[in-house]
Amino acid sequence: MITLQHYLVLSAIVFSLGVAGVLLRRNALVILMSVELMLNAANLALLGFARQLGDTTGQSLALFVMTVAAAEAAVGLALVLALFRGRGTVNVDEVRSLRG
Amino acid sequence: MSNLVSFGYIVPELLLGAMAVILFLLSAMRRRNLLRKTIFPGLAILGLMAALSVLVNRTSGGIFGGDPGCISGCSLFFGLLATDPLADFFRILVISATTICVLISIGSPALPKGRTGEYHGLLLVMCLGMCLLSAANHLLMVYVAMETVSLCSYLLTGWDARKCRSREAGMKYVLFGGVASGVMLFGMSLFYGLFGDLSFQGLHLALQGSGALSGAMGQWAATLSVVFMFAGFGYKIAATPFHMWCPDVYEGAPTPFTALLSVGPKAVGMALILRFFYSIFLFPGSMETVIGASGQIPWLLLIGIVSAVTMTLGNLAALVQNNVKRLLAYSSIAHAGYILMGVTAGGQEGFEAVSLYMAVYLIMNMGAFAVVSLVEKASGSEELQVFRGLGKRAPLVALVMTIFLISLAGLPPTAGFIGKLYLFAALLERGGFWFLMLALVGVTNSVVSLYFYARVLKSMYMEKADTDLPTIPIRNPAAVTATALSFATLFLGLFWQPLATAARWSATLFH
Amino acid sequence: MDIKTSILLWIPLLPLFGAIVNGLFGRHFSRPLVSAIGCGTVGMAFVLGLVASADIFASNGEARLVQSVYAWITAGNISIQLSFLLDSLSVIMVLVVAGVSFLIHVYSTGYMRDDPSHARYFAYLNLFVFSMLVLVLGDNLPVLFVGWEGVGLCSYLLIGFWFEDPAKASAGKKAFIVNRIGDLGFLIGMFLLFGAVGSLSIDDLRAGTAQGLIAPGLATAACLFLFLGATGKSAQIPLYVWLPDAMAGPTPVSALIHAATMVTAGVYMIARLSFLFAISPTASAVVALVGGLTALIAATIGITQKDIKKVLAYSTVSQLGYMFVAVGVGAYFAGIFHLMTHAFFKACLFLGSGAVIHALSGVQDITKMGGLRKKLPWTYWTFLISTLAIAGFPPFAGFFSKDEILWKALSSTSHAPWASWVHLAAYGMGILAAAITSFYMFRLVFLTFHGKSRLDPSIHVHHEMKSMSYPLAVLAGLATVAGWVGASLFGIHSFADFLDPVVGAAQKTAVVMRDFAHNHSIEWAAAVGSVAVAFIGLGLAWLLYIKSPDTPWRLAERFRFTYRLVFNKYWVDEFYEAFIIRPIHAFSVFLWRIVDVVIIDGFGVNGPARLLKGIGHVGRRLQSGNVQAYAFWLFAGVAGALLYLALAVGVI
Repeated sequence: MITLQHYLVLSAIVFSLGVAGVLLRRNALVILMSVELMLNAANLALLGFARQLGDTTGQSLALFVMTVAAAEAAVGLALVLALFRGRGTVNVDEVRSLRG
Repeated sequence: MSNLVSFGYIVPELLLGAMAVILFLLSAMRRRNLLRKTIFPGLAILGLMAALSVLVNRTSGGIFGGDPGCISGCSLFFGLLATDPLADFFRILVISATTICVLISIGSPALPKGRTGEYHGLLLVMCLGMCLLSAANHLLMVYVAMETVSLCSYLLTGWDARKCRSREAGMKYVLFGGVASGVMLFGMSLFYGLFGDLSFQGLHLALQGSGALSGAMGQWAATLSVVFMFAGFGYKIAATPFHMWCPDVYEGAPTPFTALLSVGPKAVGMALILRFFYSIFLFPGSMETVIGASGQIPWLLLIGIVSAVTMTLGNLAALVQNNVKRLLAYSSIAHAGYILMGVTAGGQEGFEAVSLYMAVYLIMNMGAFAVVSLVEKASGSEELQVFRGLGKRAPLVALVMTIFLISLAGLPPTAGFIGKLYLFAALLERGGFWFLMLALVGVTNSVVSLYFYARVLKSMYMEKADTDLPTIPIRNPAAVTATALSFATLFLGLFWQPLATAARWSATLFH
Repeated sequence: MDIKTSILLWIPLLPLFGAIVNGLFGRHFSRPLVSAIGCGTVGMAFVLGLVASADIFASNGEARLVQSVYAWITAGNISIQLSFLLDSLSVIMVLVVAGVSFLIHVYSTGYMRDDPSHARYFAYLNLFVFSMLVLVLGDNLPVLFVGWEGVGLCSYLLIGFWFEDPAKASAGKKAFIVNRIGDLGFLIGMFLLFGAVGSLSIDDLRAGTAQGLIAPGLATAACLFLFLGATGKSAQIPLYVWLPDAMAGPTPVSALIHAATMVTAGVYMIARLSFLFAISPTASAVVALVGGLTALIAATIGITQKDIKKVLAYSTVSQLGYMFVAVGVGAYFAGIFHLMTHAFFKACLFLGSGAVIHALSGVQDITKMGGLRKKLPWTYWTFLISTLAIAGFPPFAGFFSKDEILWKALSSTSHAPWASWVHLAAYGMGILAAAITSFYMFRLVFLTFHGKSRLDPSIHVHHEMKSMSYPLAVLAGLATVAGWVGASLFGIHSFADFLDPVVGAAQKTAVVMRDFAHNHSIEWAAAVGSVAVAFIGLGLAWLLYIKSPDTPWRLAERFRFTYRLVFNKYWVDEFYEAFIIRPIHAFSVFLWRIVDVVIIDGFGVNGPARLLKGIGHVGRRLQSGNVQAYAFWLFAGVAGALLYLALAVGVI
């Protein structure tokens, strides 16, 4: 029997993975993917709660999140691509001309 | 209110959306060469003005006497959006801000020539998102509206693809923004699980009734989720420690867009924070129960601490900047701290002060960025040294900038002084020890901030330029806009009563 | 807006309009157009003032007009209206200010004809008239204070009008700084009153005073602070030092601002708040004493000055002293009376000196003039008439107003136990100063216009210009006849009656008549005494400067110390320099050298600024440019907030 606890624990793990990815990986694309992980962790929790509460609001939010996440991925990808064209790198610790 | 009736209340948003679509379509057809570049800003302003006139027409009765409109219970689309004075006030602010942004974008070299249609379309979509966010009464709407604003901001920040720093700023913004919204969304999902609802009214009722906050575990989870959400809100208003994206993005983004970015999202973020904290955690009747109602969690104190840290950090970092654009970025962080003082104070006075200061801040900060944009256009840089001798080279521009800087520093006889006065007055009205301490921090910070604003003044009036710097043409929309804004800054410093009336009206939600 | 209900607003607005037009576009206009705008707006303001005051004249001062323009500040229960008040007191002020300003504007069209900054000059001058009219029309202290600051600003701008000359620019700064000290007093006085009454409108203050809301001690404190403001603006001891230096500005400016109008603002303010000063005999006595002392000391300094404008400047300080004696002894109407006559004859004197300076292409030293009577007839005759007026010869205006003040000081006392002596002392100083005034003014006339010419032969004396002569003639005419409206010796009390609705009650509260107050023979005897001392002064001047012109220099040699003491203005400037400016400067140097450089640098940081900057640099290092670090701070912030809240709530 898969209970709410399972969803939540999984969601927490996925969220932590996303956070760890954001903090530890240098590649901008991987960081973007880690952000997706965080969003999906939230989706998982939303769906788990929605199922337990028998309420559809959570599910609708999850649907919106998926759509927005797609748009965000597209925008992020475009910006990272533009950066790569100019700098030849997508490593965030090498792109530091704006600082101080 | 049902969907059909609700549409009547979002005409401004519909107009903005429609005009954005028209702009995108027109720019797709530009090969026909029938359309000149000037048509895009013209159309954008047309759309904005149409939206603004609908709004003003609807609200003017409410501001100056008469029916204040839907004070409570007027929620649209089954609770997704609220329509109330607070929302309308901030809608007017962001539409005005977008209009100013369009005006100072005209002729800016930071914007690639071939893509003006998309640029203005995205500005309108961003404006639409901000309008929705200032009325959002439901966490779903909050998320969607905030992402609308964010996505447009990411694109527009990286708009000048010819410049390395614009691209870099766009990349940083999208990564940081993605993380912040991810954290916020996770907080929302937990909140949803705890209280079983996403609309503010529902959450308020659930908080009132449920025993979710009684146990230590429930309280812990609620705290966690609200802090997570606050990270998202704090990122929008650039409050410490969620502000780190701000200086880099402001510096890298095309200057006319920076002007909007420093004002619009901050304004609606403030509106959101006001609405979120005070309509979910407030029990009807009294402001004083805010702390008690949230289960002994001292939200106000937390916001107060964030406010103090934000303004201190922003001001101190601004002390050592040599790039005026970046200096203004830190200054805008500091201003987020000042405005949060009003949020902390709460009550009628606090809300009024936040609304009033936001309007004043819009005028003076966009004006300052407009001047930076002019200088940048003429001299190709916005470092402090290109401001040298501006008093001689371009007396009008220097004078206008002086007015903005004096106002940002909060000295009379400018609007900035009045704004600060209301903020401090709101804090003193509350009168507790911590409120007084916060006011003290605010005053100290204002004094510190004098130093770096005066540095720009000194540079403009007392230093000679090393090389020959060009004068600044003033017969263009951006310069005229800046001058008009400087007049407004002075005017509101002397006759602020109408604005104060409007701000008071905007706070009627929380009577 | 209906002109009838907003006429008071338009009176100051017209000059403001002129200032804006000339200030913004004047550079592109021709000179006659700029002059026409400048003179025209002020002239129209004068006409509007006449129209507005018709009712008040008709009712002999009983009527009053209050027009509220705008709710300026409303916060909580504080409400400050931007509103204007026209009663008999402000009628006199408005007409004097607008009328004299108009004449001086006309005069300026000639005097400033060749100045390259013609338009800027007229813009400032109009701005000044605007501020001054706001000051005298203000219905509450904040509005009055706005005008008060506005005239100060214009004064600063106009003193430093020729700012290329550093001495002139620094004279402007001196005026500005000294006035700030006074303004601080004014503000504190306002706050005290607001604390007691809860409003700052004149009517509320009057009502509050009548209800006893203001305790006597508080009234004294508030009055003294307000008077400190007055000493700054009206150049009284101890803050008079800025006025002589202010002569660096163009001469019409000296005539308008530093003689006829702005410097009298302190007197006006006390008359406006007469109900308040009336309940504080102590403060009133201080006002009278300071006024008397200033009248005497400034007059003695006037004897030795060689710059024609400096003589007139000290004379202004001295005459203002008389006005303060008047308002100090409770004769408020007499103070305003002298204010009005002084505006006429002193403006005439200054404009006359300007005509001389203009004719001599900038010479101001009277020891290098002489014999100009023939070459500048208009100037000479008007100057002579005004001199007779200021020296107190009947039937000229100054005689009646000065005599009124002296008689009131002699014949009255107040409720304070020692006031009797203060009033006598004020009278004594006043009569002595009157003799000296007569002496130094005729010295001025004789040295400038009589005797042999001591001019540098290279100087060509220019002709008089009509635009400059006509205003002189009008002012000299006024200086001749204006005194008769208050010639109480001959039983004419129209001026006092006209002001009675405003200051009469206060006067009754403040003054205790001596037993001989209604004895006409004593009044006549006192008047004869005043005239006698004026003749003594005239005679001495004649002896020393016409009969035997060598005597003054011999006297100066003989009483070298006294002469130098007076010539150097009692070393007051030096005193301030040595005991106020130097110590502050030395203290700053001490802070800089010892505290800052040694102590703070000793610990590795240079002053709080460096300390803050140091923190700024740390903050800057945090902003490393790496977006991952930014995300880290985001999470750290979330964790910090959670930790704090958990501790605060006590979960862990």
